Amino acid sequence: MDYFVHIAILIGIYSILALSLNLIVGYTGLLSITQAAFYGIGAYTTAILLTAFGMNFFLSIVVGMIITGILSLAIGYVLSKFDGDYFALGSFGFNIIVYSIFLNWQSLTRGPLGIPGISKPVLFGLDFSDNLIFLILVIVLAVGVYFISQFITRSSFGRVLKAIREDEKAIKVFGYNTLFFKLTIFVIGAMIASVAGSLFASYITYVDPTSFALSESIFILAIIILGGLANNKGAVLGAICLVILPEALRFVGFPSDIAAQMRQVTYGLILIVLMLYRPQGLLGEYKL
Amino acid sequence: MRKKAGFAIFIPMDIIPQLIVNSIIAGAIYSLVALGFNLIYGTAKFFDLGYGVLTAVGGYAVFYFSRTLGFDIYVSIVLGVLLAGLVGFVIEKIVYKKLRARKASSMVFMVAALGVMTTLQAIIAILFSSQFQVFPATISTQTFQIFGGVITGVQCIALVLSILIMFSLVLVLRFTKFGKAIKAVSDDAEVSKMVGIDTDTIISKVFFIGSAIAGLAGILVGFDTGIEPTMGFSLLLKGVIASIIGGVGNIYGGVLGSFLLGFIENFGIWKISGEWKDAISFSVLILFLLFRPNGILGKKL
Repeated sequence: MDYFVHIAILIGIYSILALSLNLIVGYTGLLSITQAAFYGIGAYTTAILLTAFGMNFFLSIVVGMIITGILSLAIGYVLSKFDGDYFALGSFGFNIIVYSIFLNWQSLTRGPLGIPGISKPVLFGLDFSDNLIFLILVIVLAVGVYFISQFITRSSFGRVLKAIREDEKAIKVFGYNTLFFKLTIFVIGAMIASVAGSLFASYITYVDPTSFALSESIFILAIIILGGLANNKGAVLGAICLVILPEALRFVGFPSDIAAQMRQVTYGLILIVLMLYRPQGLLGEYKL
Repeated sequence: MRKKAGFAIFIPMDIIPQLIVNSIIAGAIYSLVALGFNLIYGTAKFFDLGYGVLTAVGGYAVFYFSRTLGFDIYVSIVLGVLLAGLVGFVIEKIVYKKLRARKASSMVFMVAALGVMTTLQAIIAILFSSQFQVFPATISTQTFQIFGGVITGVQCIALVLSILIMFSLVLVLRFTKFGKAIKAVSDDAEVSKMVGIDTDTIISKVFFIGSAIAGLAGILVGFDTGIEPTMGFSLLLKGVIASIIGGVGNIYGGVLGSFLLGFIENFGIWKISGEWKDAISFSVLILFLLFRPNGILGKKL
């Protein structure tokens, strides 16, 4: 039972991440490979605020979102100067830079040692240290993020995003300030990822830089590509598939370090096969 | 403590020769990766992010042949280079060729290349563990002193080989029919097809050559420091950054960018700290993308 709760929590966290990246990659067509950086900023903010200042978890989510929002605004502004392949490459670069900050700013993040002992959330005397209650919290937030994503993508704002994806020049001619739209969605996506990071930090009670390396960004990208770009249900479906699939590998009986590598092989192959035979993924409405 | 007198920063003169040597060696390795990357980018026209892992293929092939099978180290090197080339060639055949036939967008190529990278890297880790390893034999144990800087024999060989490969590549591109065909495909694949150049064959060959060069770079790094499954990734990034600094698709630019990057990194960490190397190179990349996206020698788009 505990095990299924654990898996469900992971699915919830990755659904949030996938929904957030889908706003950027799927709906707006910006191939961003840096989502793990924002995920990590949220996680580290919560980790530091909870362990060093004993701040309330829910307040740390908000602080994390603010910090991520400011940083992603700066990063997004720089990235907005690039398009296509160079955008992807630049975003890649930011992931590496943020990762090396996690790794090397030892006085703040304790570097490779990571930050242990992050407490579970408490709200009005309600203790979330029971995983089942934590799961409810994750589900509430994931559902919230899902509806926010649905709302954004169905609004007139969302239609402009899709128009930018299809033909940025044309929509510019109509007088839309595309930079504003691209930056706004980039920041929103980053802030949502930060929430997932806060949840992750508090759930695992430990953060270290390796959870937020580039491979994690690629994993989140694989989720939304598998589920289908520009489809919020697809993002959740992708998260379910890619979290459960490697667990199946565990039951086959590989030792844990090999199982971890087998996961990577699976993600990699999924990306290749999808690109070859079904670039729109399972439910996708948009092809890369 | 470093002293600062007035506004002139105190420079310990004795480190400078070593920093220069290190920069040149790093530049030589990066330029190999950048050469292959540029060659592939020029003809296939996409950022082959899976390219880096071929350095690990080369490195681990030497490790396997020399350590597990007990082959002579030089035989292993040749086999390693060939194997890396072959793997690159096969990947091109089963993945990129099909995408090209479908006229997939460059983003699809990039995602597929990420898939290739993730898969191969993990397969290597499964086969050889993700530990850092060193080769059982070495090709040189000598060290030399140059103006107070120390350079190892391996590094000398790396430097000489990079320069040799650079020149032979230039000669091939300039003076052979094959080289001219590569140039034609880089300039305009459609037109070269029309005039009867078999673009698919050219691209396959380019993948073989480029990947073999990557394999060699990986082997040289293996002799210099050691190998690990993820080694290709940081090498690739350096190669890509160097290519962009120098001008993507331009062979001379890639080499120039590599040495520049080597110097920036090594002199950068002298003032900051070794762990920031990757962050420094990426900051340089982003600055270049912002202010000079075509690189130093790049053509105006």
